[in-house]
Amino acid sequence: MAQVELRNIRKSFGATEVIRGVDLSIDKGEFVVFVGPSGCGKSTILRLISGLESVSSGQILFDGKDMTRTPPSKRQLAMVFQSYALFPHLTVAENIGFGLSLAKTPKAEITRRVTEVAKTLQLDSLLDRTPRQLSGGQRQRVAIGRSIIRNPKVFLFDEPLSNLDAALRVSMRLEIARLHRELGDVTMIYVTHDQIEAMTLADRIVVLNGGRIEQVGTPMDIYENPANTFVAGFVGAPSMNFIRCRVDTDGAARFGPATISPARPHEVSGDALLGIRPEHLALVESGDGTFDAEIELVERLGAESLVYLRAPFLEKPITVRTGGKLGLSERQAVGVLVDLTNLHVFSPASPAPKPEH
Amino acid sequence: MESQNRLWRVLLLALPILVFSVLVIWPLLSSFYYSFTNWNGFNRDYEFLGLRNFAKIWTDRLFFNAIVNTTIWMAAALVLPTLTGLFLALLLDRQVRGARIFKTVFYLPICLSAIVVGQIWIWIYQPDWGLLNTFVKLAGNPDFNYAWLARPDSALFAVIVAWSWQQTGLSMVIYLAGLTSIPSEMLEVCEIEGATAWQRIRRVVIPLLTPSTVVVVALSMINSLKGFDILYIMTGGGPFNSSDTLAMHMYNESFKKYLMGYGSAISVVLFLIALTIIGVYFRQLRKVDEIYG
Repeated sequence: MAQVELRNIRKSFGATEVIRGVDLSIDKGEFVVFVGPSGCGKSTILRLISGLESVSSGQILFDGKDMTRTPPSKRQLAMVFQSYALFPHLTVAENIGFGLSLAKTPKAEITRRVTEVAKTLQLDSLLDRTPRQLSGGQRQRVAIGRSIIRNPKVFLFDEPLSNLDAALRVSMRLEIARLHRELGDVTMIYVTHDQIEAMTLADRIVVLNGGRIEQVGTPMDIYENPANTFVAGFVGAPSMNFIRCRVDTDGAARFGPATISPARPHEVSGDALLGIRPEHLALVESGDGTFDAEIELVERLGAESLVYLRAPFLEKPITVRTGGKLGLSERQAVGVLVDLTNLHVFSPASPAPKPEH
Repeated sequence: MESQNRLWRVLLLALPILVFSVLVIWPLLSSFYYSFTNWNGFNRDYEFLGLRNFAKIWTDRLFFNAIVNTTIWMAAALVLPTLTGLFLALLLDRQVRGARIFKTVFYLPICLSAIVVGQIWIWIYQPDWGLLNTFVKLAGNPDFNYAWLARPDSALFAVIVAWSWQQTGLSMVIYLAGLTSIPSEMLEVCEIEGATAWQRIRRVVIPLLTPSTVVVVALSMINSLKGFDILYIMTGGGPFNSSDTLAMHMYNESFKKYLMGYGSAISVVLFLIALTIIGVYFRQLRKVDEIYG
């Protein structure tokens, strides 16, 4: 039985429908990450699961029991917010033990459990400090501590690392992954717009767009087999290249001077979009590749370089991910070799990819 | 260009400095000066008395009566409007029907002058036909005829109620602003953690309103120390000096008995008391700042 089940959830604010019929089953112990652009409804779904917002229609079930109208405190869940939501007038220990003290748990028991949680999160030396005396990472650990102390069945994370700097995000990401492993059968639902967090943490990713689910799957499944151009364009950085083409009845795709036959089976014909990830393109000598193009810009990132190419038949520049040290220069003519085994063919009617990514 | 800017800066600063000097600094220094004299407020031929005015304060029974009354006045003026303002803000912060109208109605008294407020409450307290006694009579005491402002044991408290009625609107507005600045996530944590409404208010909302309380307390303190006009119009410090505060006592000595020198000495003591309170207040303020930033 699914731990959390959403059945045709809809949510409107006034006349605006922001969640448009979401069905999803989340298993016990699973780590599910909601990703999507701003305004796609990922945080709203989390708030609907928590009970902080009520659904306009549909059902929310926990362990098969209808919890749609159950108040948040009775849902046995915990939530970690982007802003940490720590109480500035309470010490770290008091913040962590806040829920227990509300429930009038004996003081000795609160102290014991706070010490235990603090040890798990390496906060034991900071228990007497106030939130203002902590770093961003420490504050987020306190917020997590406040959540885990009540032994919730479901953890909800609303962009918990967005306020941290890049280095801290990496270490906190590892901490959250470790926590999930240690807590075992606790279900975690995590909202982020950062796809690295989604790819590294998730058992399954839910890609949302305009209040609807575009695709649900494991990180690699979503990456390698995107259901449509929206998912293909949203997941992966730099994002997938799209080239307008025409697909013949034999399955071969034509664009500009090139004709290629994608190795993966597809059912698209006529006007189509070819999707190629930047790492599935290679630069060769001009005339030796699938087509020729001119280098517009080279971004050297150290371990790798991103080369932006343009050609008369391309609507916008395409990106090639290649080795770090290259003797390439702008305006240089190069050949581009396409990895036919990793080509995606989409119908142009498929949801549009994000404009910039 | 730079020199022109500088000229403007000096000019723009000079005007407020001039106004402040004429209206605050000069009277302050004058008070200090006259507190060492026996000036009666009119004649130029006054004598320099040294510390004799201050020595007189220690033997002035009415001065100590005024100190007691001022303490009661300040404590009540601090606590009552703060608590009622907080209560109304908590009540009106929710999306209740007509909240805007209620907010306006409760804020209205602060827009009135103390003289008007005083006159309204004189009528409310009027023994024969005043609103308060009429209610008591209607509630089953037809012979009730208490002269609230004419009895020494109720006069000060009657003025305190009128003062609190006026000041409540101000603290309510400050608390309402404070409530909107509490991050919604903190209240949502309470919801998720299962806090009751009372637990949420006592353990989260009131502590998070501390910065607002600091402002309310500061304003209440300053206003109550200055509180003179409403006392003047309602009781004039009486009956039998029962509502005589330091400000009132200073006024009576200076302008009724024409002892301007002695009145100035009282004003210097009042100034020093205010300075001490403000000093303590600023120390507390620093602590609040360390927690809430």
